[in-house]
Amino acid sequence: MNLLIEQLHYTTTQKYNFPQSLEDLQLPQKFIELSLRSMKSMEGEYFQPNEITFNQSKMENSGDAAPVFGNHSFTIEAIPLRPLLEDTPVAAVDVSSIKVGETETGILCAIRGAIVWKEESHYKYLRLGPFPFHITEENRKEIYTLFRHHYLETSEETSAPNLNNMQTRMGNLLERWLQMGISCSAHDSIILWDGSLTAGTVDSPVNVVSQLLEIARNRLNTVLAFSKTTHLRLFGHRLTDLVGKSQPPFLLQINGFPMPSGPVFSLGNVYVAKLTHGICSFRLDIDRKVPRERGIETVRKLLGNDLLLQGYPETLRLAHIFSTFTANEVIGIQRFIAQQCGLRTITRPNVRRLLFGPFGKGSEG
Amino acid sequence: MRLYKKEGNTIQILSFPGDNVEKGDYLLIEDPKVSKGLITQVIDVQFANVPGILEELLRDSTTDQHVHGENFDPLEVSSHINYIQDAWMLLCKIRGTTQDRKLCENNSWFPSRFQSKVKKLPITSLLTFAKISEGLPINIGETKETSALTIDAHALDGKLNIVTGKKETGKSHLSKLLVLGLIDYGAPVVVLDLNGEYVNLGFSSKGEKNEYYGRVHVLTPGGNLKVSLAQMDLRVMLNILVHALDLPGTSTREFRRIWRFLQQRRAFTLHELGEAIRNWNCNQHVRDALFSRYYSLLNSGFFTDNLAEATTLEDFFQRIRNGGALVINLRDVSSVDRQIVVEYTLGKLVELLTQWEIRAVFLFAEEAHLYLRETYWDDIVTRMRHFGVFTTFVTNQPDTIRENIYRQADNIFLFNFTNERDLETVSRAARVDSETVKSIARDLPPHHCLILGKAVKDFPMVAKVKALDVQTMGQTRLFFTDKN
Repeated sequence: MNLLIEQLHYTTTQKYNFPQSLEDLQLPQKFIELSLRSMKSMEGEYFQPNEITFNQSKMENSGDAAPVFGNHSFTIEAIPLRPLLEDTPVAAVDVSSIKVGETETGILCAIRGAIVWKEESHYKYLRLGPFPFHITEENRKEIYTLFRHHYLETSEETSAPNLNNMQTRMGNLLERWLQMGISCSAHDSIILWDGSLTAGTVDSPVNVVSQLLEIARNRLNTVLAFSKTTHLRLFGHRLTDLVGKSQPPFLLQINGFPMPSGPVFSLGNVYVAKLTHGICSFRLDIDRKVPRERGIETVRKLLGNDLLLQGYPETLRLAHIFSTFTANEVIGIQRFIAQQCGLRTITRPNVRRLLFGPFGKGSEG
Repeated sequence: MRLYKKEGNTIQILSFPGDNVEKGDYLLIEDPKVSKGLITQVIDVQFANVPGILEELLRDSTTDQHVHGENFDPLEVSSHINYIQDAWMLLCKIRGTTQDRKLCENNSWFPSRFQSKVKKLPITSLLTFAKISEGLPINIGETKETSALTIDAHALDGKLNIVTGKKETGKSHLSKLLVLGLIDYGAPVVVLDLNGEYVNLGFSSKGEKNEYYGRVHVLTPGGNLKVSLAQMDLRVMLNILVHALDLPGTSTREFRRIWRFLQQRRAFTLHELGEAIRNWNCNQHVRDALFSRYYSLLNSGFFTDNLAEATTLEDFFQRIRNGGALVINLRDVSSVDRQIVVEYTLGKLVELLTQWEIRAVFLFAEEAHLYLRETYWDDIVTRMRHFGVFTTFVTNQPDTIRENIYRQADNIFLFNFTNERDLETVSRAARVDSETVKSIARDLPPHHCLILGKAVKDFPMVAKVKALDVQTMGQTRLFFTDKN
């Protein structure tokens, strides 16, 4: 059995039993050790802090290509929604990662996760991190394997991503782990994921995502995955643009799309959700194994239990806000790393700026 | 602390929590490679413009009411983040340069941004550096570091000083301290005491005689300060008539003739003066004008025909020849009479100084605009200073002192002002930049003063003025008294 799952309590299943304390969501000591160990490897090196860049969002729609809408016959059904004022806890998870600099031998990144849950009229959050990592060619495989082993309980060998993709992949793995924690501890709740229910990618093996959804279902939870952006198109139109003339809140269900083929596919039923007036609509994946009516009822409960700004659940929005790195946090992390490891800071010339002067915008390349 | 930027005379230094730097503190930016240093003073403390701080504050604001949570940060990275978020930018003014740990005149040197080290310069070190407390020390109080701050009495000698600040901040207290400090070194001091605040300087706070008892002489016009016409110089009398009593020019000429007439007859009494005006062959309007002034002189009670009760300033100066204060108590004296007394006093001082009967005198003038005529302002800072009248103006209305006085002031003891206009007025002082005045004076707590000028060798310093064991008598009379 998974080490993580073993630490969680199945027996005390109360209505509001989200992580009451950190004990419920124990971060494997290995993870912290990994962070510290990775940084030890760079003591005395030169460190070039990154110019402040945007947070790297995880590969939200890595499997967005599935399902593929070909030239089949579709019907689009609008499902009007009424808020269901039945007291139901709402929980959301989000993770951010950011590259904070480079050393002579690798890259420095930081990862942070946030869980937000709404109980009655109050939002609560648990922020984990930031966890800095020094990833080099030498340790990237070790780090990635440990991550996968601890979070995904998978022992199958996969090749570690290249250095530049490592931070995103590690972020995705941490997110899966937090999702697992929530699935295990929540009961009869709405669990919001950022992204889709796509499975079959390296970070989202089918068995792992299926297991996550199954655990959630077994505890009467329903997973709703919101995608802010999608590449899915129907008749050349972006899926989220198909909102029609219905009055929000409503869901659009696309009937008749084919079951995906290939290794990457969705474990959810795909909807277009327009939950409030405004310009925003989102791709919404609802666990396929949850009966349709119950899935729709869950969305109605979401309407009755959470705030929605521009049609986006406030719980999920807060999770994003709490996990995101601000520029001063990046400077703080750089300072932490430089001080912990006795790094000597250097500034390499920005080649783009050197070559192109004021036209050399964007990151140094 | 790190040197960040220089613009003109202003230096910006990045500071972090734990540096414990406040407005008014001195920093030394040292470049050990060249053994040089720059002495700067913090005049303002701002938040450093850390990128992303707005997002951070917005995020934090969501946690105020309806959002609660906790952070799991086993590596304690957040302490480093907080450290960055709380970074300050210190705005500093360059005050001097050091070479081999000695002050030097050349202010053109500029330190390296990366090589130089920035550290706090304790006030005690600065006092030693600049030799501020040497000579004849007068203890003003204590610095923020609780070390004693003394100024050299020489820095007040031959100088023009201003003590200013809003009400109840401790101006009079400091001027009393300066008066007693000067007395200690044998200096003669004349105080034009508008509110009778200095009359009990010779008594301790318990009402007992103190060490200054025999050296502080209170002169009350119409009381123990009366003069006879015979002691008066025509020039002083004309000053009183023209400037205090607004006697027109024609009448002044007639008065001069009458005065000479009485001089020839050696009949210098008020009675004789009255009779002479009555019988003088002149225009009736002139006579009326002279009579109205005559009665003003008579009613002031300041003049007497009784030679036994007449006093002379010479006598009083004789009493304080080894140091002391003549406190001219102008409390309960009408506006016109006050001007008569002041005209007499200043005229007499110049006369005594011209004749070298006294060497010099330190004049303390409280709210001088209430009794000092317009032309005296320039006179005091130029001509009278050369004679040896070294004035200290004390006021809570800085705009009553002319701009040229501020420009020529050698020392300014500045207490708290919050009003922009007041700060603007004081900031015209030539001895320091206006930003320093405005920024530091605004935040001064009561009984703290910013000392500017020669007394601190042009290193502005904040001092908490020490308590005095004398009866202050400066308190305002209250209706609601505390019966407990």
